[in-house]
Amino acid sequence: MADGTQILRRNQPGSRAKDFCRWPDEPFEEMDSTLAVQQFIQQTIRRDPANLEAILKMPEAQDEGVWKYEHLRQFCMELNGLAVRLQSECKPETCTQMTATEQWIFLCAAHKTPKECPAIDYTRHTLDGAACLLNSNKYFPSRVSIKESSVAKLGSVCRRVYRIFSHAYFHHRAIFDAFEKETHLCKRFTYFVTKYSIISKEILILPKLDDETPITQTVGESEA
Amino acid sequence: MGTNGNGRRSGTKLPDVRRPMDEGDCVNDMDSPELDFVYDDCDSQANEIAELYSYTEHPEFQLNVKAFEDIMEEFNFPPSWQRLTLPQQRTVVMKLLEHLDVAVSDVRMRSARCILYLAQGCWAEMQSDAEQAHWARLNIMTLYEMGTFAAFIELLNLEIVRSSSAMASRKIAESLPDSTNLRVILSVLYLITEHMRTEKENPDSEYACLVKNFKEELGTPFGEELLPVKLLSMVTHLCAGTTPYFPMKKVLLLLWKVLLVYLGGSKELKERKARLREMYGLAPINEDTLEIIKGMRASSPPPSAADMLENQNPGQRKLKENERALRRQTFMKQTSLDESDEQIYVDKEESGNGSEDYPMEFQSMPADNMQNQNTNQNCPYYMYFKQFDSPPPPPPLPRSLPWQSKVRQKDIDMFLDNVRIKFVGYSLPGDRQTVAGLPQPIHEGVEILKKHMYTSLSEVQAEREIEIARSPLTKGEKIVEETEAEILYRAMLPNLPQYMIALLKILLAAAPTSTAKTYSINIMADLLPEEMPVTVLQSLKLGIDVNRHKEIIVKAVTAILLLLLKHFKINHVYQFEFMSQHLVYANCMPLVLKFFNQDILSYVGAKNTIPIFDFPACVIGEQPELTKECLEIGDSSVPYSWRNVFSCINLLRILNKLTKWKNARIMMLVVFKSAPILKRTLKVRHALMQFYVLKLLKMQTKYLGRQWRKTNMKTISAIYSKVRHRLNDDWAFGNDVDARPWDFQEEECALRASVDRFNHRRYGSGGGQEVDLTPVDTDINSVLESNVELDEEFKDNYELWLEQEVYNNEINWDVLLST
Repeated sequence: MADGTQILRRNQPGSRAKDFCRWPDEPFEEMDSTLAVQQFIQQTIRRDPANLEAILKMPEAQDEGVWKYEHLRQFCMELNGLAVRLQSECKPETCTQMTATEQWIFLCAAHKTPKECPAIDYTRHTLDGAACLLNSNKYFPSRVSIKESSVAKLGSVCRRVYRIFSHAYFHHRAIFDAFEKETHLCKRFTYFVTKYSIISKEILILPKLDDETPITQTVGESEA
Repeated sequence: MGTNGNGRRSGTKLPDVRRPMDEGDCVNDMDSPELDFVYDDCDSQANEIAELYSYTEHPEFQLNVKAFEDIMEEFNFPPSWQRLTLPQQRTVVMKLLEHLDVAVSDVRMRSARCILYLAQGCWAEMQSDAEQAHWARLNIMTLYEMGTFAAFIELLNLEIVRSSSAMASRKIAESLPDSTNLRVILSVLYLITEHMRTEKENPDSEYACLVKNFKEELGTPFGEELLPVKLLSMVTHLCAGTTPYFPMKKVLLLLWKVLLVYLGGSKELKERKARLREMYGLAPINEDTLEIIKGMRASSPPPSAADMLENQNPGQRKLKENERALRRQTFMKQTSLDESDEQIYVDKEESGNGSEDYPMEFQSMPADNMQNQNTNQNCPYYMYFKQFDSPPPPPPLPRSLPWQSKVRQKDIDMFLDNVRIKFVGYSLPGDRQTVAGLPQPIHEGVEILKKHMYTSLSEVQAEREIEIARSPLTKGEKIVEETEAEILYRAMLPNLPQYMIALLKILLAAAPTSTAKTYSINIMADLLPEEMPVTVLQSLKLGIDVNRHKEIIVKAVTAILLLLLKHFKINHVYQFEFMSQHLVYANCMPLVLKFFNQDILSYVGAKNTIPIFDFPACVIGEQPELTKECLEIGDSSVPYSWRNVFSCINLLRILNKLTKWKNARIMMLVVFKSAPILKRTLKVRHALMQFYVLKLLKMQTKYLGRQWRKTNMKTISAIYSKVRHRLNDDWAFGNDVDARPWDFQEEECALRASVDRFNHRRYGSGGGQEVDLTPVDTDINSVLESNVELDEEFKDNYELWLEQEVYNNEINWDVLLST
């Protein structure tokens, strides 16, 4: 797609899968659209989804609220991939409730009065709810600056989204592993919420993934 | 006018003036000392928090510690909050929040209780109130920062629905256990809100940023509803009887505090008013009612039987007559006073029998030269104004009326009209300048009126409304400023009448004059324990608790109503009118009067509180056994109940707001025989409270008849000296020759029409009457898409129509399209 003098960073109708998003990187300083932060994050992820540190290294002079917001947005978008894979295996008949370890059943907060939804519904509702909130005109009218009070809302979204990971891990391990191998999404999410102390380590019930990358300051080195 | 008549008669019928009033109990004046109550938006934080809990709830405090200890054990932390590091504390809070999402109700509620314990300042570990308050503040800020408030709103939504399904099996009477979960949730919400409110007052708080977030959060809907609207709908549900177990006291207290933080208190109101007046180009107001009244003394109550006896003493009487002669002189003089002679000074308690005199009597004051003399006399009683500790208002002339006199444009117009008719024989409608042909004194009169003219925001807003109605396209409303009050009004509008009815029903049920029979609703559900007390002491305690509970509910409801009225009034006068109309329809006025038709002195002095059972005293330190003595422990140094005086003043202010400039409603005051009730209220020796009573009496004086005035000269003097004068307003002596109730009804209807038009225009669904003003749809696609209903007759004969209207009609399409 990079032919010609003008680089058009867009997937045209009819692009082949292998051509998707295959355009050269652009330095962050030169991105001039209002969606620069998203573009930058996606670009770093494409380069190497396993390089957590690079992905979560905030450019200088970047508003931290926006940075967190855009990352959470990206997580939710990518999580849809996991949800799609889960659909084949996680049925309302088998996983009738949202559980991680058997200890707690979680309520689905996407309803006016929270309900006990089956796991797959919980996943869908939570992702929908998160998308609704993150795209809401009231809370996030701008993607350039974000109200402090809205940033505070991200915490509860993160906690709820994390349960999707833990359900997949404890109940659909194969799907989880395959997805994680490709995207490193859970690792990245864990690194994200720890780095910005959005969720404390005690709540992150997934064991540190495999033998690689302990979730500490040294994250990313072994992978990169 | 009337002054002359009065002056003449007072010479011969002096004893009449002194005749004691026959209504009211004869309470010795000495029994009601002047109250040092200071009116404010609310009480101190400690008291406001103590009032959240009923005494019957005490056993539950222990459950909170228990929940905390269990959870800490589970988390492998020591059960001591102080010993945890800040990150550890945050971890605990995060885990607790995680538990709030769990499906098992017990787990959820245990964690909610634990959070409540943290918000209560971990009192079990604390040695003193101060320490507990310190930790409460820290914890609440941490809790809020981590999103507890929003999480608890979700929990509230859940619990409202769950408990109503659990309540399907109805019991005979609701009691404390029915609302346990709701009470825990509401308490946490209230504690956060109350701390935020206090923090907001503190200008250099390190949490200013959180406070700002909190305010923003209140303004954005949780789910679909704004929090205040959600709480109001809880109130209406209770009144509808569908959810009798709702803990109404906590709901109302929370609602009040939420409004106070969201809309702002008197400080914000003042600022906003000043800003709006500037915007509309009106002169700034430099009088602050509360500040001015702080400097006033309370009047002694109207004379009682003791007074009468004293009056029969001839020697005393002689003295009095001299005094009176002097006073009469003032009255005569008043009519010829010119504007600089508004100065009247206080002549107080000169002979030690001041207790039966109004402290404010007038004497004639030869202007200027006396002024110096008086200052030399060095008599502090010559001033209305005590010393101000807070920033003093613009230094008032020590010997002047407390208020600037005011006059409305309308009154000036009327005055001009009258004098023109009288002196030149014709009127000049709309002309406010021409004074040609009028005598010199009238010129001066007009000058003075103009100098005192005051235009209120309401008048400007109402005028603007007329303008918009006249030319909606050219002068129509552009943008409505999205103020907090505006957002709230829009959200409340669809159900506003129901909210008002519900609030008033609760007020009625909580009023001290209500008997068990008049309870249409049960407001005690969150107070009465499951098992009734067995010992005398316990029932004594419960009795106090019940009264305290009612008083707190009254306090919250009156504060909510007043706050809403004030904010709507500034935001747009028709929003205020809409709300007050519905209050009037819901019988607010007789209700308030009924409230005051009780032994008001004992209400104001009521001690329905047991200090050692108040939170946090009831949980910190050693707890005594329940004995007769402990009901009496505590400071009784304050001779009044803060909340009761506060509620009384709120109610009087509400009544004033409803009736100001509304003749039809003033007539209601007369019809409901408010005068004796109000006069009895004057016994409470508090300047602000008396001020609002006097205002209410002033507006109806002219309908009360001469007999009333004759027997109530003292009250009239008090009105004269304390309430603002309206130039040209003959409130005291004008007999109500012009009172024509049907006119008043007309005024009321006109107002209602204006309010409806306003609501329709600004919040209506569009369409309706404004069909002429909506732009014509010229897009061919959308025009062809719209469905046109044709009637049968047309369908049968359409060929004829086609023939006549289309084929036989020459249409020059070129011309049509080019225009």
